[in-house]
Amino acid sequence: MTTAVPALGRAPADRRRHGRPGALWAVPAGLFFTAFGLAPILVVAYLSLTRWNGLGDPVWTGLDNWRALRDDADLTHGIWTTLLLTALCWLVQTPLALLLGVWAAAPQRNRAVLSAAFFLPLLLSTAAIALAWQSLLDPNFGAAATLGPWLGAPDGNLIGDPDRALYVVALVIAWQFVPFHTLIYQAAVRQIPATLYEAAAIDGADRVRQFRSITLPLLRHTIIASSVLMIVGSLTYFETILLLTGGGPGTETRVLPLHMYIKGFVGFDMGYASTLSVLLVAVGTVLSVLIVRATGYHRMASDREGL
Amino acid sequence: MRRRDFLGGTAAALLGTGVLGSLGACGNSGPGGGEQLQLWALQDAEYQKVIRPAIDAYNSGAEDKIQLTTYVNDAYKQKLQVAMGSPQAPDIFFNWGGGNLAQFVKAGQVVDLTDRTADLSAAFLPSVLSVGQADGRQYALPMNGIQPVILYYHKAVFAAVGLQPPKTYDQLLAVVDALKARGVTPIALPGSQGWTELMYLEYLLDRVGGPDKFAAIAAGGAGAWSDPAVLRAATMCQELAKRGAFGANFASINYDNTGASKLFATGKAAMFLMGSWEYSTQLTNNPAFVKDGKLGWLPFPTVTDGAGDPTAVVGNPSNYYSVSAGSTHADTAVDFLKKTLTSESYLKGLIAAGQVPAVKGVETRLAGTPGADFTTFTYQLVAGASSFTQSWDQALPPSVGSELLTNLQKLFLAQLTPADFVATMGRAR
Amino acid sequence: MRPPPSVRPAPSPTRGTTAPTTTGVRATAPAAPRRARPRRAVNLPAGVGATLWLLVVVLPLYYILVTSLRTPDGYLGDGALALPGTLTLDNYGRVLGSGFARLLLNSAVVTAATIVLVLALALPAAYAIVRGTSRAVRVGFSLFLLGLAIPAQAVVVPIYLIITRLQLYDSLLAVILPTVAFSLPMSVVVLTSTLRDVPDELYEAMTVDGAGPARTFTRLVVPLARPGLVSIGIFSGLGAWNGFLFPLVLTQSPEQRVLPLGLWNFQNQFGTDVPGLMALVVFSALPVLTLYLFGRRHLLGGLTAGFGK
Repeated sequence: MTTAVPALGRAPADRRRHGRPGALWAVPAGLFFTAFGLAPILVVAYLSLTRWNGLGDPVWTGLDNWRALRDDADLTHGIWTTLLLTALCWLVQTPLALLLGVWAAAPQRNRAVLSAAFFLPLLLSTAAIALAWQSLLDPNFGAAATLGPWLGAPDGNLIGDPDRALYVVALVIAWQFVPFHTLIYQAAVRQIPATLYEAAAIDGADRVRQFRSITLPLLRHTIIASSVLMIVGSLTYFETILLLTGGGPGTETRVLPLHMYIKGFVGFDMGYASTLSVLLVAVGTVLSVLIVRATGYHRMASDREGL
Repeated sequence: MRRRDFLGGTAAALLGTGVLGSLGACGNSGPGGGEQLQLWALQDAEYQKVIRPAIDAYNSGAEDKIQLTTYVNDAYKQKLQVAMGSPQAPDIFFNWGGGNLAQFVKAGQVVDLTDRTADLSAAFLPSVLSVGQADGRQYALPMNGIQPVILYYHKAVFAAVGLQPPKTYDQLLAVVDALKARGVTPIALPGSQGWTELMYLEYLLDRVGGPDKFAAIAAGGAGAWSDPAVLRAATMCQELAKRGAFGANFASINYDNTGASKLFATGKAAMFLMGSWEYSTQLTNNPAFVKDGKLGWLPFPTVTDGAGDPTAVVGNPSNYYSVSAGSTHADTAVDFLKKTLTSESYLKGLIAAGQVPAVKGVETRLAGTPGADFTTFTYQLVAGASSFTQSWDQALPPSVGSELLTNLQKLFLAQLTPADFVATMGRAR
Repeated sequence: MRPPPSVRPAPSPTRGTTAPTTTGVRATAPAAPRRARPRRAVNLPAGVGATLWLLVVVLPLYYILVTSLRTPDGYLGDGALALPGTLTLDNYGRVLGSGFARLLLNSAVVTAATIVLVLALALPAAYAIVRGTSRAVRVGFSLFLLGLAIPAQAVVVPIYLIITRLQLYDSLLAVILPTVAFSLPMSVVVLTSTLRDVPDELYEAMTVDGAGPARTFTRLVVPLARPGLVSIGIFSGLGAWNGFLFPLVLTQSPEQRVLPLGLWNFQNQFGTDVPGLMALVVFSALPVLTLYLFGRRHLLGGLTAGFGK
């Protein structure tokens, strides 16, 4: 389709094709993305068929690494942990962020002040947050000893207990990311026309009903976008976990990306780590398609250019 | 099991010199095109006092200058591995010998020192020297003190409870029960870090089956992990944890922030199995505990029906320096090692830093130095040992080592049965 | 962690199914949150819930701040959450004296270079995607879209390989290049949607005036894309500023260390010096805090990078 007619009734622009940018404009970005985004994916696929400890040259081993996936008990557990953590994060963050976002969107002054405080965690880097929480959760010198009894851990053992560690990680992640999602909801709620609520109020709908029949339906797309971001984000929680628990105790909080990192950069089995990477790339690609579908980026792309 | 940095207040003051001192240096100096010879070591306030004067002394008369770069312990292994795979490899690098060194040797990245330093090698304790060898050739020379693992105990707590320090494993179990009954955590265990748990497995396997059992594992022999002695040692580890020897929250305790050392020094825990460096750590962080004579030490208890020799020790025989094969300063590097490692001032410096150098006849030098009772004990423990097994995570290839530490955590948390532990490790590669 | 009960849209003191209860004396007008509502009743349960969450948010921040002001003895002796007996600024002094300036400079260089590169690469690409007619560009755009959710750590092994082969290992450039590459998909997508909002008539007017693509770009596209540029500048800048994995794997020396890595290194090196670590955490947040105070709208907009729509 070389003659992509822009759209109806825009003949002048079509005639003057010279006024349009050529493919050259996209080449720098394309090359850059190819070199550091696409090429690594090809390389990782190749490395997944080799044995390499980071020294010297990779040695071709065919499908050995792929066969080893089967025997990797930590992998199954890692996938399960990843799914569980993703679900947990969604369940904690979505209601919180939704309600806080709705609440913070209102114009009252006290809400504006409070919500300014809500966004403060956004100012800290992942490393800062993880390290601060780690010291906060230290059972000897941190606040865990003080707060533990309130949370059902009299000895302050929050982060070292296999049954609690994942929940604590989810809490820290929520602390870090709820502000971000609150922000998204707040912006979305502010775009809902006030007249809708006024009409509902006249009809005698109470707060709960207004929330259920106006706010929620109108936020549908935002909920989807925010949820997609959370699911995608679950692959990047990796840094927080690496710094906070290192995947422990045992492998209780070792999510799939962390498993790959430990295999590759602690055990230096970079061939096998690459095999895990290929899995991650596959998951990432599926999620990308999900984002594009859910947010309509692709649709926007075709709407106006008549693809 | 790692050589820990000496943490604490004094170290903070040294941060300035360590970081700022290197700020002025150009970032891109490696063996390829660098002007200075790069020497990599661990960040360790006490060791800096030994190596810096040695480097300064050498630099003052040499054309090729040496530049010291130090790294934190946890990050070092990764940095080294990554750098050795890159053109920015250091010229002289700190290492632990064993399997970690062997993979560099296998990749052809280490200079064979056998012939060039033969006279130097003769000065070292053979058991320590051998860890720096691969295929019978010498690739690394000891640059630090010997670091056996020792069972420390809190004398005041033992006195208050009326207990004798345990000499056999059965006594240890009895002591554990008695301490538990008194509400004291019997043994401090920083279980958020697997290498601290590894010490138990190392000693127990040695006591139960002797050093050959691990030698077979290190050699990669098929079925070495499924030896009944390994299973028994793993079972003993888990039983110890289940018995409450380490309290309930050991998995959240950390060694790096000296949490475990603090628990021990304050008497909340009565015993601590740790490397010989723990003495210096306590001296830095809890000086009164050491000076009041409350810190006691013992060899690891014997196992009555075990096949192992009760004098055998485990730990880090020493740390080592090796020279990169890609170095353009290799001759200078070897020259520096020859002139430094057994020099009078270097050995004196190590002893002053609380170390026991791995050279023959060092005993006489120890007398009269601060902490001589402890260092002499350490020396005699090693000199009289029938074998000195290197920490497994250093002796094994990194991929197996990291797997081991993870599975040990699961073993101690009873998430893996001893049988599963042994089976899983048998599959690790 | 569950949502504070009172924020849940469960029982609410309004008329309707149940009679007004405790809270609203005049809880007549249901005040679903939204703006420009003439009469507003106080939504007490929501307020209580928000306050509870505020507590969760503020507690760690309080801990960070108060710990950074403690003496070493105070840290070991006072409770973790107690007010410190003696306040000290020593920790800040120590951290400043230990190479903080270098960390700050490196992070600033990485961040600035990332922003400049991302903007310089993404805007022309977005322009070509929106206004161009090349089929290849569209295919390329689809590839960008597929890259949206591929996590950086999935390709960190090959990136390490590529960077070492390019002899870039242990340089700031080694961090900048992949950071830019992983900011590009989102940036291109956001800018594309910004440019699509520009009415075609404006482009056509330029063309009628005889402007070629280059002039259209500088005169029309750059000015009109400004909101989008600010958004992705902040978005990619924060990504670079906070980035941990690439610096961790691709640099080694203290001279090339960035802030997040500096934090981690400090913790590794001085495990006991928690007050110092917290002081460093506070310092590391100051630049973004400044941005927050003076450009809150831009910052928050950049964070969501168009997802708030």
